[in-house]
Amino acid sequence: MTNRLVSAVIGALMMIMASPANAQPVAVTPGTITAAEWSAFKNSFVEGTGRVVDTGNGGISHSEGQGYGLLLAFLANSAPDFDQIWSFTKTELLLRDDGLAAWRWEPGKTPHVSDPNNASDGDVLIAYALSLAGEAWQRADLAAAAQGLIAAIGREVVIPLNSSITLLPAANGFGRDDRPDGPVVNPSYWVFEAFTRFASQDKATDWKALARAGQALVKNARFSERQLPPEWVSLKQRPTPAEGFAVEFGYNAIRIPLYLLRAGIDDPALLRPFAEDAGGAGLSLVDLKTGRTHTTLTDPGYRIIPALVACVLDGTALPEDLLEFTPTAYYPSTLHLLSLAHLRALPGGCA
Amino acid sequence: MKTALIATALATSLSTALVLRAMEPAPTAPAPPKRAARAMLDAATTSALPASKFELTQSQSSTPEGTTGSPPAGSGRVLRMAAPQNLERFSAFLGEQKRPSTSATPAPVMLAQADSAATAQNAATTAPDVSQPQVDETALRYFAREGDQRRLEAEIARLRTLYPNWTPPADPLAVPAVSDPQLDAMWQLYAQGRYAELRKAISDRQAADPAWTTPTDLLDRVEVAEARERLVNASDLKQFETVVRTASETPSLLTCSEVDVLWRVAEAFAQTDRPERARDAYKYVLDNCDNAEERVATVEKAIPLLPRTLVDELLATARPGSDEFAAARLSLARKSVADAGEDPSLTVQDDELQAVTAAAEPEAGTASDARLLGWYYLRRDRPQDAQRWFSTAREREDTAEASQGQALALVAQDKPGEAEEVLYKWRDENDEIGRVYMAAVANYLATEPRVAIDPAVLTRMAGETAEVKDAAAAQQFGWYARDLNQHQTAGQWFQTALGWKPDDEASAYGLALTRNILGDHAGVREIQRLWAGRSERIADLGEDRRQRPARPARSSVASPAGETASSSQELQSAPPVTVQTPQAAVERFAGAPAHEASGAAPLPQAYTAALTGPRAASPATASGSAAPRARTPQGRGCATTDLYNQLSGQAALARGWCLMDLNRPLEATDAFERALQTGNAAVQRDAAYGQSLAYLRRNLVDDAAVAAVKAPQPSDRTHQLEVDILTQRATGFFEQERYNEALLALDQRSRLATERTDLMVLRGYAYLNMQRLNDAERVFRAVAAVGNREGLKGLAAVNATRGRP
Repeated sequence: MTNRLVSAVIGALMMIMASPANAQPVAVTPGTITAAEWSAFKNSFVEGTGRVVDTGNGGISHSEGQGYGLLLAFLANSAPDFDQIWSFTKTELLLRDDGLAAWRWEPGKTPHVSDPNNASDGDVLIAYALSLAGEAWQRADLAAAAQGLIAAIGREVVIPLNSSITLLPAANGFGRDDRPDGPVVNPSYWVFEAFTRFASQDKATDWKALARAGQALVKNARFSERQLPPEWVSLKQRPTPAEGFAVEFGYNAIRIPLYLLRAGIDDPALLRPFAEDAGGAGLSLVDLKTGRTHTTLTDPGYRIIPALVACVLDGTALPEDLLEFTPTAYYPSTLHLLSLAHLRALPGGCA
Repeated sequence: MKTALIATALATSLSTALVLRAMEPAPTAPAPPKRAARAMLDAATTSALPASKFELTQSQSSTPEGTTGSPPAGSGRVLRMAAPQNLERFSAFLGEQKRPSTSATPAPVMLAQADSAATAQNAATTAPDVSQPQVDETALRYFAREGDQRRLEAEIARLRTLYPNWTPPADPLAVPAVSDPQLDAMWQLYAQGRYAELRKAISDRQAADPAWTTPTDLLDRVEVAEARERLVNASDLKQFETVVRTASETPSLLTCSEVDVLWRVAEAFAQTDRPERARDAYKYVLDNCDNAEERVATVEKAIPLLPRTLVDELLATARPGSDEFAAARLSLARKSVADAGEDPSLTVQDDELQAVTAAAEPEAGTASDARLLGWYYLRRDRPQDAQRWFSTAREREDTAEASQGQALALVAQDKPGEAEEVLYKWRDENDEIGRVYMAAVANYLATEPRVAIDPAVLTRMAGETAEVKDAAAAQQFGWYARDLNQHQTAGQWFQTALGWKPDDEASAYGLALTRNILGDHAGVREIQRLWAGRSERIADLGEDRRQRPARPARSSVASPAGETASSSQELQSAPPVTVQTPQAAVERFAGAPAHEASGAAPLPQAYTAALTGPRAASPATASGSAAPRARTPQGRGCATTDLYNQLSGQAALARGWCLMDLNRPLEATDAFERALQTGNAAVQRDAAYGQSLAYLRRNLVDDAAVAAVKAPQPSDRTHQLEVDILTQRATGFFEQERYNEALLALDQRSRLATERTDLMVLRGYAYLNMQRLNDAERVFRAVAAVGNREGLKGLAAVNATRGRP
């Protein structure tokens, strides 16, 4: 907070912080991803069929990827590409009886959907992008699809828990009755900015309460000296790492600070542990039983996340090399663009 | 009416409020499509539904016919009324941003979109005489130019449905040159099924050229095409609610040119417990679509998914004068016969049985039809008919299944030797057939009167018995050898059987008898010790059963502990199953069979043991008449005690034997009674025999005698029964100390069969207890003369009674 210029911004953010449930996305505006960046991303990861390809994962696709693709196309203000990705999403994944998307699609299999279960974060991302696009581009078809999907998410994967509610990672397999340590949740499935929007679109579910529950989860489910959240958390009693999953701050969990920031949440109590890698060799994947780093991710799409946290918390400028986008693999490239889009939307940036 | 039916089906299925509302009538028919679309968009705020929605459906769909006098061409007929609205609905969505947000008032719609459809509607309603509506023929021309005949025809059909007044151009190729290359490229994407790229292309052009009006037709087509993909994908994933939902949102998909979609919708209804709606969908195809193959396929698809009554409704839609569903009827008949071949409680209508028979009978008939009939008759206690059909099936195609059926039919006719012959080469085909084969072997060996079995056949049967360690067949080898007076061999087989199935009481009994006859009394006692409390007949064997005053002291019989231990091992641990030994023994079987019947009633034991052991869980072998494909036992194993009075004769018989094998003669008596009442002559014969054995087992000798004459028995069996009855009478009287009557029974018995040594001993003690000491001495001497120690003990008892040394 030494930088006076930043302190005004921080002050503004503090006000938001005071009522985190009402935190507004700093700005989710078409145009925060440049045409060149989007074009590079698209050429690397989007097929003509509208399929977003997870290049780091055997070329499969999933609802999360389609959701990210839609969101990025929206942020790049490209309705044609949005339409293209949406065409695939609705015809190939949005097939479930309950209105949610099947999560996994493999080019070599028949039928292509190799697991009809859903993944709640994929559903949330798709619904969120549809909702944004429907409004910004005055597209009733997209708005209606968003509405249906938001309602289905609330109906199928939001469950009561204690005096609040929580988000199951999928319709099947994680509930109270599905596992001995159920319900099991994934903190990185809280796309906070989406819930803020859903709250204004759908009254059937208390999306603000869901967002609060997610923040409480990030605050309480922290382990090891690094005080980081694991990917999978049992909420049977107080939050503990779920059985049968690696107890680690892993590839899923690294999105948590990005989602918090993008929702305008900048509570240092929540974010501080995620800033530790800023300026270091890379983003640490941490074994939460020992506190040891078992992998250091150096792709700029990963490194930008702690840098962005440090930027928001401390006004630390981002290294130049992270401001340039070059496609690498689907996942880090996605995180990179989402981070850059957020950075550009920050009033005054961070330096 | 028919379109209304399926519209009803779709509309009343879940989540169809939109569709229902789409059908909301305008005050005057027919509603302008735009308005209908508007109504749909406003559905969320529309409250009441018109009560007359389906009447509206009718009036709308009939309007074009009323005005033109000619219905649309059949092949392209859609669910009319719904289709045009629906098309408009989606174009309305896409055009939403340009549209005033209102109201249910008849639409002041955007002119930009009003073009063809609205014009068509005008043509239909206000100016019926106007010759040609203005129809967007872009797609038509594109497909014609590309030579895409299938799509061209589909497009013509679709446009006809939309615009009944429209006449397709005589020569779609004679059209002006392409005026809009970009649009042409879009149609190309459409034709290639590249819908995502088409979406992008449309969106790109809209962005680049705000003045460009996207052809409604194009938007409509891509919308429908995407819905189709979605529906097919959901159907493949068995997401049947999505299938129904998508169809109800896109009724223009439901046309005769998309029969596959209609099939999938029907399946979705059927799979979600809405068979009547499934029937409606299939019936829609049959009522409206002309493609002969598709019509037949429609019925074929319905058959496995719908109850028979609904299928019959579909069959009733056959075009007059045609026999178009003959094949389907035949497959239905086949299904009935096949089901009845698995479940004997089912009945098959005569016409269906005749249809399958007529198909199977000619030389050109198939092996599979013959097999169906084989199982059918086998399940109905008509093994001769079954055998005939299985035989026909095998002539046409010699398969494991037909051979298995034939073998079962042969066993059911008491021809186990032929069954063995038929099945030998298939024995390794699967476990089921292996079991049937071994049942045939056991029954063959148990055949009475004894038959001379070809040594080569004996050898291969012994080999297979050893291979699969079949205790029941081993036991029958034992009885067979015993009856040939090859007691050493018999003992080896019994012992082998016990090694494979240590709780096989019958084999233990056989082994005890064998040891007894070989004079190995320590061996007998060892078996008696091991089976103490578990087998009355083993305990009763030989001397130990008489604990009356005039019987030998027990202490004199006790065997040394060491001997006990070794014998015990021999019996209880797996004996050295030396395949060579029994096989070598078998080779000595070649001679004529012995005629002295054993007391062990081998036939029923063979039958039941082969059919009820751990391997006999299968109803096929248990009933001898079941189709052997993987089936669930239906009260057939004797472990199942319910459904008992539903058993057919054959099954009740098998159950009776099974219960006998479990030494539950009381229940067996009832099962045999059931078989007596319901079975055919052969079953009755066996049931009477079984019942008399069951009574004997219960010591109800007189009842046994009564049961024995309930059905005529083969003379050998009658003979055996009489012998058994007299034997039991004699021992029974002896137990009751009614020695005179015991002697009478023994005398009667001796006129029928040679007196066994143990009965001679019984006779001796009877004399002794009647103080006919000379007679007793004479008998015991005779026993002692054949080397039996019982004779010496008896003599000692006589001497003791005489009070002299």
